[in-house]
Amino acid sequence: MSVEKQKVLPLSLTSRVLTPSKLVNYLWLLPLVVGFAAWEMITRFHLVPHSSLPTFSGVLVVFFSSIQDPAFLLRIAHSFLTLICGLVLAFSFALPMGFVAGSKNRFDLTLTPLVMLVGALPDLSFLPLLVLWLGPGSAAAVIMASVAAFFPIYFTVREGTKNIPRELFHVTTIFGSNRISTFTKMVLPAISPYMFSGLRLAYDFDWEIIIAIEIATSVAGIGSFIQGTVSGGALESGFAAILAIGLVAVVVDRVFFGTLESWSRKWA
Amino acid sequence: MMEHHVELDNITKFYDAQERLHALHEVSFDIDHGEFVSIVGPSGCGKSTLLKIIAGLDTPSSGEVRLQGGLVHGPHSKISMVFQAFGLFPWRTVLENVEYGLEMRKSPKKERVEISEQYLEMMGLGGCEHMYPKQLSGGMRQRVGIARALAVDPEVVLMDEAFSAIDEVTGDVLREEVSEIHKELGKTFVLVTHNLSEALELSDKVVVLSSRPAKVKKIFSVDLERPRDRTHSSFIHMHKDILHLLKEELENTIIRHKLKGINELQKLHDIEGAGA
Repeated sequence: MSVEKQKVLPLSLTSRVLTPSKLVNYLWLLPLVVGFAAWEMITRFHLVPHSSLPTFSGVLVVFFSSIQDPAFLLRIAHSFLTLICGLVLAFSFALPMGFVAGSKNRFDLTLTPLVMLVGALPDLSFLPLLVLWLGPGSAAAVIMASVAAFFPIYFTVREGTKNIPRELFHVTTIFGSNRISTFTKMVLPAISPYMFSGLRLAYDFDWEIIIAIEIATSVAGIGSFIQGTVSGGALESGFAAILAIGLVAVVVDRVFFGTLESWSRKWA
Repeated sequence: MMEHHVELDNITKFYDAQERLHALHEVSFDIDHGEFVSIVGPSGCGKSTLLKIIAGLDTPSSGEVRLQGGLVHGPHSKISMVFQAFGLFPWRTVLENVEYGLEMRKSPKKERVEISEQYLEMMGLGGCEHMYPKQLSGGMRQRVGIARALAVDPEVVLMDEAFSAIDEVTGDVLREEVSEIHKELGKTFVLVTHNLSEALELSDKVVVLSSRPAKVKKIFSVDLERPRDRTHSSFIHMHKDILHLLKEELENTIIRHKLKGINELQKLHDIEGAGA
């Protein structure tokens, strides 16, 4: 019982004391702090002109005022939503295709060479065509993001499916599972550790793709904001935007994928 | 005449459509209610395929399996199975694994938890409900597998090499328990194994299959008192007889292969001779 109680009281004193062993978990902050301090020094003493690199403190000031600006937040939200749409679109194709390729050799032999062929081409080389067809809007960005996200999801799902022991399929059959419940209650959890890695990679790829597209085609996201501010000389705003994206990317990565992975670590 | 529980009627199985890979040839035997039957045979003879056919996981090329007179095609709600590599879902806790069969049968949550806990208790796993399979030893995992198979209240329990992935001592204890369960629950058990002592220890009947294509070579009735004593002279005799039979089978196969090889060589020589 006492163990249970400790679990429901996360604010109990014991869990808040920072012991040396817990401190190790925050060691990754050290290089960051050193880096930012070095940045501040270099710019403070004008080793680099402010027109090339603003001071870190200046960036922070702009950052904190920017994140209170609805227009700025809207741009971040716009980029983020574009990314999510691309991911969802990619996932809804890559999951069934990866599963089919992983479970039926026949399909694998037809599908995978095709997927590899398309994957071997640099995704962004299609961008001018996409813009020509769809216009320089979010549609082109979503399509581009989903193309980039497709490959890691497809290959990890395929690999995960290939690794499901045959016996587990027998188990589902013996106990009278239908196709849908076999997929949702057996295949999905079985491939999930692979799939999560694929999604995480896709998510990282997609940030790059989205920002690149926004810079190249000046659509209304945070990428074009960076482009605009930097070329207009407002470097602090540009850096503040980069800081904001970084923060969003890392927080989502930690919270969303971290949770998923800690679930699969429990049993895998 | 009393009806048999499970009837195998002229089961023939080819692995391929061209009928070249002949796995089973007209295998027929009956299994009575509450009987414990073991199927043994040379490795690779197709005994696991036969069990899969009884389970409805595979279809025979010809012949049929009947359960209480009714044709078995595909998985059957009265037939359950214990797997060689345990077949547990690693992402489910012990309790959730045992619940699986009942869950597929749409029984309400409360009921299936109750039933599952009962069988876990029976398999000596009370208190392990919320552990994951990776936290358990092989023997304990197979206990979960057995509990899951029993939880759906089957009439026939199929065991595919169920003890072969477990160390000997743990296996001994588990075999004794399975024997107890068989006696208590009165269900029909069919075990595929390559372990003759195991077969003799558990079974009322041992079916010996020949090498591929497998036919029924001989059926031994084991009329020994339970719990079985491995040092009993009848036990040892029967063990010897079956072993002898299996060795004979194996030797026949080897001789057949050798003859085939010699034939091929002879043909080659003939061709060379004709050429010269």
